Parts: sequence; C-alpha cells; structure tokens
Amino acid sequence: MMNLKLCRFLLFAFLLGTQDLHSQTRAESSYTVQNIAMPHGLMAETGGLAFLPDGRLAACFIRGELMLYTPQTKEWKVFATGLHEPLGIHAVSNSEFIVMQRPELTRIRDTDSDGVADHYETLTDDFGISGNYHEFNYGPVQDAKGNLYIALNTASQGGSVRPEVRGPLNPLGRDMTQGIYEMYSVVPYRGWVMKLPAGGGKLQPYASGMRSPNGMGFDLKGNLFVTDNQSDWVETSTLYHVKEGKFYGHPASLVWQKEWAGRNPFISPVDELDKIRTKAAVLFPQGIMANSPSQPLCDITKGKFGPFAGQLFVGEMNRDRIVRVMLETVAGELQGASIPFIDGQGLRKGNNRLAFAPDGSLWVGQIAFGWAGDQGVQRIVFNGNLPADVQMMNLTKNGFDLTFTQPVNKSQAIDANNYSFRHYYYKYQRKVKNAGADVTDQQDIQTVPVKSIKISPDGLKVSLVLGELKAGYVYELKLGDITTAKGRPLDNKLICYTLNNLKP
Amino acid sequence: MGKISLLVCLLFLIISRALAQQNVDGEIVINLNAISGMQFDLVRFNVKPGVKVKINFTNTDDMAHNFLITKPGSRLDVVNDALKLEEKGPQMNYIPKSQNVLWSIPVVSTNQTATLTFNAPNQPGAYPYVCTYPGHGFIMYGVMYVSNDVNMPDLQTDQNIPPSRRESKAGQGLGPVKATPLSDAKAHHVSHPYDLVPPFLYRIFMDDSGPASIAVSLPQDISYCWDTGSCRLRYAWTGGFLDNTAIWKGHVDANAKILGTVFYREASEYPVIIGNSDKQAIAEFKGYKLIDKYPEFHYQLNGVDVFELIKPKNDGNGIVRNFRIPDAGNTVWFSGNSTNASLEHKSSAGTWVDGRLKLSPQDAKQFSITTTNYSLLFNTRRKKK
Repeated sequence: MMNLKLCRFLLFAFLLGTQDLHSQTRAESSYTVQNIAMPHGLMAETGGLAFLPDGRLAACFIRGELMLYTPQTKEWKVFATGLHEPLGIHAVSNSEFIVMQRPELTRIRDTDSDGVADHYETLTDDFGISGNYHEFNYGPVQDAKGNLYIALNTASQGGSVRPEVRGPLNPLGRDMTQGIYEMYSVVPYRGWVMKLPAGGGKLQPYASGMRSPNGMGFDLKGNLFVTDNQSDWVETSTLYHVKEGKFYGHPASLVWQKEWAGRNPFISPVDELDKIRTKAAVLFPQGIMANSPSQPLCDITKGKFGPFAGQLFVGEMNRDRIVRVMLETVAGELQGASIPFIDGQGLRKGNNRLAFAPDGSLWVGQIAFGWAGDQGVQRIVFNGNLPADVQMMNLTKNGFDLTFTQPVNKSQAIDANNYSFRHYYYKYQRKVKNAGADVTDQQDIQTVPVKSIKISPDGLKVSLVLGELKAGYVYELKLGDITTAKGRPLDNKLICYTLNNLKP
Repeated sequence: MGKISLLVCLLFLIISRALAQQNVDGEIVINLNAISGMQFDLVRFNVKPGVKVKINFTNTDDMAHNFLITKPGSRLDVVNDALKLEEKGPQMNYIPKSQNVLWSIPVVSTNQTATLTFNAPNQPGAYPYVCTYPGHGFIMYGVMYVSNDVNMPDLQTDQNIPPSRRESKAGQGLGPVKATPLSDAKAHHVSHPYDLVPPFLYRIFMDDSGPASIAVSLPQDISYCWDTGSCRLRYAWTGGFLDNTAIWKGHVDANAKILGTVFYREASEYPVIIGNSDKQAIAEFKGYKLIDKYPEFHYQLNGVDVFELIKPKNDGNGIVRNFRIPDAGNTVWFSGNSTNASLEHKSSAGTWVDGRLKLSPQDAKQFSITTTNYSLLFNTRRKKK
C-alpha cells in the first residue's frame, strides 16, 4: 500500500512538472484511443483478451479463432481455430491458454513448438447445456492460489432448449406461467459462479443468483467481482462482490441448491428471496451509467495508466464508454461509486473485454453478436497528462468526500450550485409481465440538498454535508462547472454512489 | 446476382407500398414494428411532400423502444444527444431537446402500440427515423423518403438503412462455409482470416446431436459430426460442409446446417463397449489432439482411455475410423450400424459376430474400421466431378 501511495505521489509530482507543456483545452485529453488493424477475413467479435508473458496479445473471437498479436510488428497470427463461442481466455504461458468455450473449459497448447495449437484438453465440462442461445459461459479468472472461476449464463425466454440437452433437466428452473418472460435455469448450475480447484478436482458450485454475468475479475486484494446485466429480477445492472455460498438475486439458479429441491423459486415470496440475497456492491443506473456492463478489470499498472491504480474499469456494451468503479469498505462490506472513465473519445460501443498490456495501456475488445455493439480491438493509452477527475468518492457520517486527481478551483468547488444530488433506489422485484426487458423504474427520486461544503487547503478534497443519507439508495451526483486550479474542466461529471450501508 | 437483388428490391417496394396505405381521412398510414435484434421491420418508406402521415408504431420486441424522426443527416447527432442526457435520460424517454428532432413517440413497452400523426415536410429528402434508447440508435433506424418520385434508391447500396439490411450474406462472411483458399475470396465470401483447407473443424451446434458437438470437414468432400457428450460419431455426410449463417448472426437459437447428404448414421448409442457388459458406460470426453490436422478424440469409458481418429476412405466412398485402446484389459465390442444394408464394414482386426466386432485387448490396442456406403460407390455423377 505504501508503495502504491509513493508511486502515485511520484507520478503526480512528475506530471505536475510536465503539465505546462500542454494546452488547457479539452483536446489535451489524458487518454488517446487507437484502433488496432484487424486481419482480413476476421469477424472481430471479441470474446476474450489476455496478454502473454512475452508481451503478445491473445484474443479469441466468436467464430472460433484464437489469434496472437505482436504489438511491435502489428502482425496477427492464428493460434487455434474451431472453438465454440469462446468468451474468455487466460494465458498460462507463451504457448498455453485456458479458454472458456460454450461446451467446456479447455486447455489449449502448442506442444510441438510450431506456433500453432495442437492439443485441446477438456479441463471441465461438468455443467449443463440446454442449447438455448443465451447460455453463454464467462471466465476463467484465476485467484492467487491457482483456482479458476467461471460463470454460467441463464437461458433466455427468447429461446428454447434443444431436443438433446446435457445434464439432468429440471423443469422447475423455468416458470411457464408468468415466468415465460424470465431467464431460466433448467440444466445444472445455470446462473452460478463455479470454481475449479487448482491442481484438478471437480467443478464446484460457488455462488448463485446470476442472470447474465458477462464479466469477472479480481482486485489487488483478491476480491472476486462479477457484473450482471439488467432485466428480470435485476432492476439495474450490478457489480457483485462474490463470496462463496452467497445468493445474488436471480432466483432461477436456486433450483440447483439442495435446500430448494422440489420448489419453484420464482413464486417464492419476494421478501423471502430478498432476505437471503446479497446486494450488489455497486449499481449501474440503467440508461444513465451503463445498460450492459461487461468485464471488470483492476488497474494493476501502478500508475502507468494514470491516477486510478487499484480501481476497477468496467466495459459497457451499449455506448462508447468504459466505467470506472471506486470501492471502499463501509460497515465491513465493499460498496462505492461508478463514474464514466472515457466517453466520446473515439472508443467504439460493444466494449466486452479488457486487458492491460505490459506497457500499461488498456486494450479493449468489442462484440455485438446480435445486440448493440461493434467489433474490433482498440487500445487506450495514457499520455501522461494528469486527468481532471474525481479520483475517489468516500462516504462520511453525514455526506461524501470527493478527492480530485489534481487541485480544483476553490471558489467553484465551494459553490453549492455545482453539486446536484439526487437519490433513488431500485426495487428488488419480479418483472411485470410484458414490461420491456430493459425498462427500469427508479423509485422515490428526490433531489438532495447540499448543506455545507468544505475544501482542503491543498484544493484536492471537497467534503460535502447532505441533508439526509439513506441506506439502500443510489446517490447520484452531477457536478457543475468546476475546473482544476489551472482551468481545465472536469473530464467526467456524473457519479453514482451505491449506499448499501451508512457509516457506522 | 443482379436479377436477385432487383427482385428483392421489387418485393421490398411492393411490401412498403402495401404497408403505406391511404385511409379515409386521406392520411398515409404506415404500420411499423420494432422487432427483435434491435430493428424496425420496415427500414424505409416513401411519402409525397406535405401529405398527412399516420405512423402506427408497435413494439413486438422484448426490449423497450422509442421512435424519433429527425432532420435529414442528423440521426447520429440525435443519438449522441440522447446519450448525453445521462441522468435525465429515463425521465425524458431518451428524447433529447433538439431542433433536429422533428417528431417523436416516447418509450413504448412490449406489445404496445403508439400513434404519431404529422404532415410530411414540404422539403424533399431522406428523413431518418430511429430509436434513441441507449445503444439502440446505432443500429436501429430507417428512413422516410419524402419525394414526388415513387422510386427509392437501390436497397443494396442504400446508405440510409442499417448495413445488416442492405448487405448480401456474402458481404458479412455469412453463407456456406466452403473450403476455399483466400486467393479465391473474390468468388466466395471469407469467413475467417485463414484458408479453410480440410481437414478442419468447428465446435458448433448441430442437428441430430448433443449440444457439445464437433463438425469436421475432411478431404474427399466427406464431413462428420462427433458428439463429445456421448463420446461417439453421430453421422457422416458427403457434399458441402456447413452453413453457419444463422448461428453467426447471434442472439437466436440456431444450428449449423449441413450442406450435403448423410450417408452414415451411428445406430448404436454405445458403439464401443469394453467388457461383456451391456450396461451404459460412463463416457467422459478428454479432448483431442491434432495429428496432421486430423483430430484424434480422447475419451474414457468407465475410466478406460479410448482414442478415435476418423479419415475419409481414399476413394471417397466412406470413412476409416482408427481406434486406439492401449489398455482395454478386457474384450472390446464395436457396433456401429449393422441395420443399413448399403453399408459395408471391414475391420483391420478382430472378428465379426452377429454384426458386432469382437476384439481381444491385444487387437484393441490399434484397429480400424472402414465403412463404405454403396450409394457413394455407385454414384457416377459424383465420380465425374
């Protein structure tokens, strides 16, 4: 931790020194988005990105290719082919990968050193497949002990099951009355996060209640995070802090839990489900912050990618955005805020997979696959020009502290007109029949007045006291015209803090 | 090709004309649906300047959609303005306050219809319509042509409609997967950044097989489908390989379609039985190794390792199945398909007993079964090719 702080300080000092070289317009933006040229003939719908120890990029694509890219020469090379909808990749070495396919988790190796894969070993296929198009599989991500984690999407009400399925079929995983509009789990462990123990062993159920968990990642402290996509039972998209044995809200998965044998979880009283549910660490307000969040990726670059080391970046499918997540522990649980990281700077939509290169640049792979999205790979480079942004948002006893990446203009920063707070909450509920799949209602929307504002002498931290703080609400802050001390406007002005717990 | 596109165009014209009817009030009535995959069923229509237009907009999709008509050339600006609404978006139905928005319908839920009536602009032009729900507007749009001319531009090249609605299949790399070198790509579409030279494979959803299947294209225009769930060959066919169009579009239940004729179907659910038991073995798929690009499947039957590699017969009239069971420890039985009289099986080892092949553990270490289908052997037209 000390090292990180020191690192940040040194970087900060260095950047302050160089900043005058740049003009103070928005065009001086701190990040540059570059397009990576893709090979002819590739439908570059990106399912997975990972960097090899030797600095090459491995990327897998929806039509089954695993390709390797050498950044220095800008050359793509085919490594493996014929994969079934690969949606995640973990690089083990320069010649070995673990890839999540539709039917299995596979170790793919080049054993004769000709640069092309020749050995495809099934690590686990111990989960069900109904054949429903929406049963995507995500991961793998690896923890410090070498355990692998994957996540299994539920099936869509927009599709059926195949005449032949894999795994026992449990019809209770789909409610055919009202639940005809709900995602379902009729083969094992759909809607679960699964763990494959290091050194072999059987795939184990780890956590339940997922709907469409298209993104997994660890932070620097080894916390596992999974995003979930808004719709039935998930009023707005989420970032879950996933722990073993917990249930996160979508009931379909519960049919694979012993305690629920023979019961239809969809018709259980909502408050019973609510009681056993673990809430999301962060909610992404629908239509505001993100509609289809994808992979959460921890900034492991120690400052190479700017002043956000240790925080999470999350891809967004529906627009040209990557979201940044700032977490803190309150009352023993992680919760925190989301803020756009990059908008309107040439990033495409469909941002599905993220990976940090050894040089600290962030690589982004896009996908559409019939949804709003795009294709291709882009690279985001920090150009050394310190962002003008909220670096951290912390809950206090009676409001919030905002820490900026650089000193802000004090008179603007103490002007209450520059802070528009609203709060609202999202109801945990079964979707009303026929309601649009992506319709979400914010409940009890209220503006929240700011009672007092203080700024630290160094101009970096603003302490806001609010009229009232309520647990279970999202606190949405829209910043006004605040510039840095040097006159640069803030890069991003919308922050949503998920207040699960008040400060004890 | 030209003829086909002309036909499609004509058909489209007829459809759009049929949808644009004049009612008793003299209004041009346009029935327009939001359909799955973030699309409007009608991507363009044509009205005369100044006429009264009534749009019945129905949302048949399971997502929410709004409907905006914008000034010519300003669709993307409006879509981006809608994104900039950020926290105000939900309350404003994602409809930005902009001079570029001419008319709009707020968010319409599934199975609901809303109506919009207006007078078409006097100024001829291409007036985009679009759903500005976040993310939708980049792909979900169409165009209202205001013109005295009844003809609309060529559909294939109409820049005012989404690419997915104007491009041919080939343009998207969709359509039959053919073993075609990239150098011939002009004549065919390109599905991958490499040549498709048999043998090659796809793990993909297949008809008449389990959900975890592998389709393999072999030389001699032979292909087969292998099921990793039950660890067995399901069927083999001759002709073309696969059409993956439906699957590769995504967002829908779909199978690859075989392009050819099935000449072999495994009849037995348990083709390989180790020991004298008829009981179902627990089959576990372990993966495959590529040997000269041919996959050699590895699986276990009750824990005993079995390897299987399938090649075409040299004359193209069938398949050769090469098995290795290094440590069978017991008699091995093989039964593929003994009911179809046009099939002939020959084995490199063992003895046939009532249509089943019996192998000693020693024989089973390495053996092959060659299956010929006489329908291929007698097919002289196929031979000529």
